[in-house]
Amino acid sequence: MIIIGENIHVIAKDVSQAIRERNEKVIQALAKEQTQAGAHYIDLNVGPMKKDTEETMKWLVNCVQEVTDLPLSIDTMNPVAMEAGLKYCKKRPLLNSASGKTDSKQQMLPLAKKYNCDVVISVMTDKGMPPEVESKIESIMDTVAYANELGIPNEDIWVDPIILPVSTAGEGQKIAVGNLEFIKILPDVLPGVKSTVGLSNVSNGVPAHLRPILNRTYLVMLERNGLYSAIADPLDEELMAFMRGELKEIRDLIYKVMDGEEIDLSSLSQKEIAYVKTARVLMAQTLYSDAWLEI
Amino acid sequence: MEYKAPVEAYKGVVREVTIGKGDKVLKIGGENILPLHFFDEGSMPNPPKFALEVLDMEPTEKIPHLLEPFGNAISDPIQWAKKCETFGVDAICLTLLSTDPAEKDSPADQAAQLVKRMVSEIKKPLIVYGSGDEKKDAEVLPMVAQICAGENLLIGPVQKENFEVVGKAILENGHVAIAQSPLDINLLKELNVKLCKFLPPERVVIDPLSSALGYGIEYSFSLIERVKQIGIITKDSMTMMPIVANLGDECWKTKQAKENETQGLLWEGITALSLYLAGANLLILRHPETLKLIKETIGGNGRWPS
Repeated sequence: MIIIGENIHVIAKDVSQAIRERNEKVIQALAKEQTQAGAHYIDLNVGPMKKDTEETMKWLVNCVQEVTDLPLSIDTMNPVAMEAGLKYCKKRPLLNSASGKTDSKQQMLPLAKKYNCDVVISVMTDKGMPPEVESKIESIMDTVAYANELGIPNEDIWVDPIILPVSTAGEGQKIAVGNLEFIKILPDVLPGVKSTVGLSNVSNGVPAHLRPILNRTYLVMLERNGLYSAIADPLDEELMAFMRGELKEIRDLIYKVMDGEEIDLSSLSQKEIAYVKTARVLMAQTLYSDAWLEI
Repeated sequence: MEYKAPVEAYKGVVREVTIGKGDKVLKIGGENILPLHFFDEGSMPNPPKFALEVLDMEPTEKIPHLLEPFGNAISDPIQWAKKCETFGVDAICLTLLSTDPAEKDSPADQAAQLVKRMVSEIKKPLIVYGSGDEKKDAEVLPMVAQICAGENLLIGPVQKENFEVVGKAILENGHVAIAQSPLDINLLKELNVKLCKFLPPERVVIDPLSSALGYGIEYSFSLIERVKQIGIITKDSMTMMPIVANLGDECWKTKQAKENETQGLLWEGITALSLYLAGANLLILRHPETLKLIKETIGGNGRWPS
């Protein structure tokens, strides 16, 4: 599993402040920590970046490249910021992200061709987020075909089905199950494409101390179904342990839940029980509530 | 070829909850079929029940066509409740509106004494709603529970902000809790999980919040529907509680209901009928004519007339 380290993210106050004040220390510390933790890419989520775009991107990209040899994922919806970022990357970067929206097809996808980089393409379209697995597949097939015509091969495309919070009134769990299905069938409909997800969004809105177990469990499930990469927190040691193939007993329990097998909780440790309950929530076998571990 | 209608059987059962004691007892819930699915395998032992609501203070806003059936009784909650009993209700709902800090902020013991008197004077089981101010309810409802210990009243709203103190008083004094959450199935389940850590689930009823026609009834409808589906189809223990739809006040707050009588009765009637169809087990109304209208519509035994 390719882990794209998510921690340089403008929504984090210290990061946005550091960028504004050109504080290299804060940014470089985050880059180093994630590199040491075993990330494969460093994501630079800069938001829309409307001001001093060119100069800021140059500073940020160079600042991170001073302390890590990892390739970068330039994460913005602003094509100007995107190009500014891609331009200064020493290693082959990841354009994060394009979509099926007209603007994105016209402005982002050509950048992927121009800079010969890998590109994340999400299932979004002008109509918004396709609601069902089938419509997501349809939408991504269209956008990938468009990218192919521009000369971007499937091998350079990382498809993103868009993860939504599992906790949102009822629908969240259905979408979580749908995205597992999506990742499973993706290689059949678009041979050669890779895949990625914004993992932490699955636990958005959930009490902070409960987020990691949802993220880890879902990543184990997605990995089983063939997910290629995830934008995630490499500083979560247990998450990285799973991705190194450790914690096999827990992984097997999660798989059993996915397969709908009965599990006798009485023989399990508290930690194992927590993972089983979390997997059941993510498979929509039991209705989500913030108290899911307490039942 | 002869057509054979498919028949479903379900795993879950809505818990049967008993309110009141002695000869004034009301049972709600107990069904193991989806609402009105009489063609499926299972039964609905207790058809939905209806209560009329009285306030513990004279209404400040005098809607003539809402208050007319009660005459002078609206100045005395006990007389008002007795008047309601003449209209064929299954239960009385007393709302302690005067305790609301935004109304009279009347003291908890005064409210509790009124509840006690009402219990002794009326012949039907009693539902008691606090003002909904979670801080004040945390004073008022435990005192009501204590003073009326053993009466098995249906008491609420128990909310996430006060479930510990109100829930414990309900447990210790032998009553049933109305767990109320703001129109969200995940929050609804969470509150039930927390409450049922100390309160037996047979002593919990769900109030999902009932919005009036034109003011969000769709949300209430689909939420009630989902609670029933998840409870009955997937057997989720924390949603297998009966549902109370406290809709009267919500309807009579609307300008359409206030405008004239026919409109008001239909507003409350259509809201009630919709939530009945969604699966509510106990419906709280304000107007006796609405009660009559809806009983005629659904038939005497709570089933759609065949």
